[in-house]
Amino acid sequence: MENLEDLKIMAEQWSNRGIEYLQKIPQDQLYAAVGVLLFTTVLLFLSIRLVRRTKSNTVLLSGLSGSGKTVLFYQLRDGSSHQGTVTSMEPNEGTFDLHSENAKKGKVKLVHLVDVPGHSRLRPKLEEFLPQAAAIVFVVDALEFLPNCRAASEYLYDILTNANVVKKKVPVLLCCNKTDKLTAHTKEFIRKQMEKEIEKLRASRSAVSTADIANDFTIGIEGEVFSFSHCCNKVTVAEASGLDGETVQIQDFIREHIKP
Amino acid sequence: MLEQLLIFTRGGLILWTCKELGKALKGSPIDTLIRSCLLEERSGEVSFNYEAYTLKWTFHNDLGLVFVAVYQRILHLLYVDDLLSMVKESFSEIYDPKRMSYDDFDETFRQLRMEAEARGMTNGNHKMEDDDSDKTNGKENTADNVVLDPSKLMKLRSKGVRGRGGVRKTDSIGNKSSKVAAAEPPKKATKKNRVWDDAAPKQVKLDFTDSVDENGNGNHDHVDIAAADQGESMMDKEEVFSSDDESEDDDDDELRSDEKKPEAKKKGWFSSVFQSITGKANLERTDLEPALKALKERLMTKNVAEEIAEKLCESVEASLEGKKLASFTRISSTVQGAMEDALIRILTPRRSIDIMRDVHAAKEQRRPYVVVFVGVNGVGKSTNLAKVAYWLQQHKVSVMMAACDTFRSGAVEQLRTHARRLQIPIFEKGYEKDPAVVAKEAIQEATRNGSDVVLVDTAGRMQDNEPLMRALSKLINLNKPDLVLFVGEALVGNDAVDQLSKFNQKLSDLSNSGTTRLIDGILLTKFDTIDDKVGAALSMVYISGAPVMFVGCGQSYTDLKKLNVKAIVKTLLK
Repeated sequence: MENLEDLKIMAEQWSNRGIEYLQKIPQDQLYAAVGVLLFTTVLLFLSIRLVRRTKSNTVLLSGLSGSGKTVLFYQLRDGSSHQGTVTSMEPNEGTFDLHSENAKKGKVKLVHLVDVPGHSRLRPKLEEFLPQAAAIVFVVDALEFLPNCRAASEYLYDILTNANVVKKKVPVLLCCNKTDKLTAHTKEFIRKQMEKEIEKLRASRSAVSTADIANDFTIGIEGEVFSFSHCCNKVTVAEASGLDGETVQIQDFIREHIKP
Repeated sequence: MLEQLLIFTRGGLILWTCKELGKALKGSPIDTLIRSCLLEERSGEVSFNYEAYTLKWTFHNDLGLVFVAVYQRILHLLYVDDLLSMVKESFSEIYDPKRMSYDDFDETFRQLRMEAEARGMTNGNHKMEDDDSDKTNGKENTADNVVLDPSKLMKLRSKGVRGRGGVRKTDSIGNKSSKVAAAEPPKKATKKNRVWDDAAPKQVKLDFTDSVDENGNGNHDHVDIAAADQGESMMDKEEVFSSDDESEDDDDDELRSDEKKPEAKKKGWFSSVFQSITGKANLERTDLEPALKALKERLMTKNVAEEIAEKLCESVEASLEGKKLASFTRISSTVQGAMEDALIRILTPRRSIDIMRDVHAAKEQRRPYVVVFVGVNGVGKSTNLAKVAYWLQQHKVSVMMAACDTFRSGAVEQLRTHARRLQIPIFEKGYEKDPAVVAKEAIQEATRNGSDVVLVDTAGRMQDNEPLMRALSKLINLNKPDLVLFVGEALVGNDAVDQLSKFNQKLSDLSNSGTTRLIDGILLTKFDTIDDKVGAALSMVYISGAPVMFVGCGQSYTDLKKLNVKAIVKTLLK
């Protein structure tokens, strides 16, 4: 009890001393100091908020190996796919405004587009980029769809059940590539097939749910057949053709979700 | 004649191809090269064979470029390596990340090619004799060459009708195994008791198996049913591993590696410290060597096979040479980072290992999903078969066991006991029957009574034993299983490489139909007996390309879990 009393007395003494000191300083200097302090704190707040907002202009291009992601990346960036592509070993990143957006007037926000390799050995790379994603374009080969249907649906399932994607409700575009070819499937067919496959995956994966460290969440509504409208994040379907340069639907999607 | 020379970025964009040699390549050799060689961490190899072509490559790690030359396999062009390095040097001078077309390089390339060809001609006459001797060695297919040639693994997978060709080679090996073939006689002629004196020997019946009827309801008394009360299989439990002691380990590592290389440090201590701060130096082979050597030794203490550790270090070296050191990083940490990436890439499965999904797919097609367990003697096939059956049963899948180990005494009884404890049907035909036929009948039985999965147990066999490998091949060809699971123990050392490569080789050589089945997955057993010497997993995955599907970590039914890639990589590099 005595210690507390002593402390109280000491604190009072210090506060008195402080007040005396403050009163000694001329008034205008005091106001200036306080003003500078306020100003810097306000600046800090604004900059933090700006930085947080500019972080999420990343769009991920993902999909199986051979679906045409690198071609689409270069189409969106340069307007042509140059001399062709091979299987990517590393991600392609670029920050630019979409190629045909140059014609538009007004402030255009730069888009950070990342093309993640689809080869299964490089799957961990996708997890590195998912936290920063504001939108995901999942590219599917519409020509060779049926042989790869299972692998594509597993990949899409992994993305849709990823913690980052579910919590931040990242919108996903299911893009059917290579639609310039005659025997390519329609987007409706692909959508239905993917829903069916994901429904089967849901059944088999939920049986081992406690062990599956990869799948953090389950999607869809219990007891109902899975449909993309059940996801809490928006999933839409579009068509594109990388070689022809037919990327309008992808660009609309990006522009819709990356607002300046 | 050179077929094609390409320059592309690591991100996949082709920057330049030679328009003079404008022939289109048959198939897709570049994509195959990337998928089967460069992404499989075999970039330290000299060349890669794809059908009729041979490919050679070189990297420019600083700019992230890959240079690949394709030529006909039957020709032995000696100037390709020189040409590639010259092209690398001259292209890196004109390379600009923003430029996409390099048409002016055509002229430079033409000159370089003529220069290289001329140089090759003069040196060619000396080198021709050496090359011939190399060729004959290669054709003999000795163990060393077979093991680590990635193109051979590719060829094994895509081989068509080659069964006949394999017979020639196997004859020579057949003579070697004549001693081991002594194991064969007991199958044909039963052993007679040795008679020491004239007394008439009592014909004691040596078969103590209880008389059983069709369903195997022999002896119920002391067998308790395991059912589901052993608890959850560890496959379904999340793996909890602590990540807090990571930072401490890094510090320890640096201290230890510092002590290990005092000689190298003395030479350029000040300059290396300076470089690590500014980060401007390009990594040279001599810089990387001490770090890589230390890393290789560390891997070998963790029971990684010596050849695999060597190949991995070469591959990491190829990917780091010429790269700019980032600022404030030491060489050892860059090398460690690159090795960690490489290890994660190798251990990440190439295809989905979701067995439940496959089982459901087979169920839809109204046929049972067949798994065959193969391996050498004593690795734990029967025990782990029971564990897998338990796990499947817990997930409401109906399982049936097939006792195709008709050789080892007690094998059928062992499975019978497991089946009784787990309450699952077992198909057995006793001993000394043809395993291939027993398996076929088991699958038919399973289709009849609607079992979802058939687990086929086979006898353990040494990889050099020709007749037994032929019998295994016959079983697999006849029954066309969905999954060929190689059971290997985690205690094995350098022999893992030999086992897996010989199994794959024999399975492909002795297959007669169009589709060759190789090992599809690995089951790693006795994982609880090794503390942190987890290198066998890496050796097996690297040499066969098959993913580890299960890990057996004990001797009870629940001791089966999945491979945790990050934990293994952490343990290997600790």
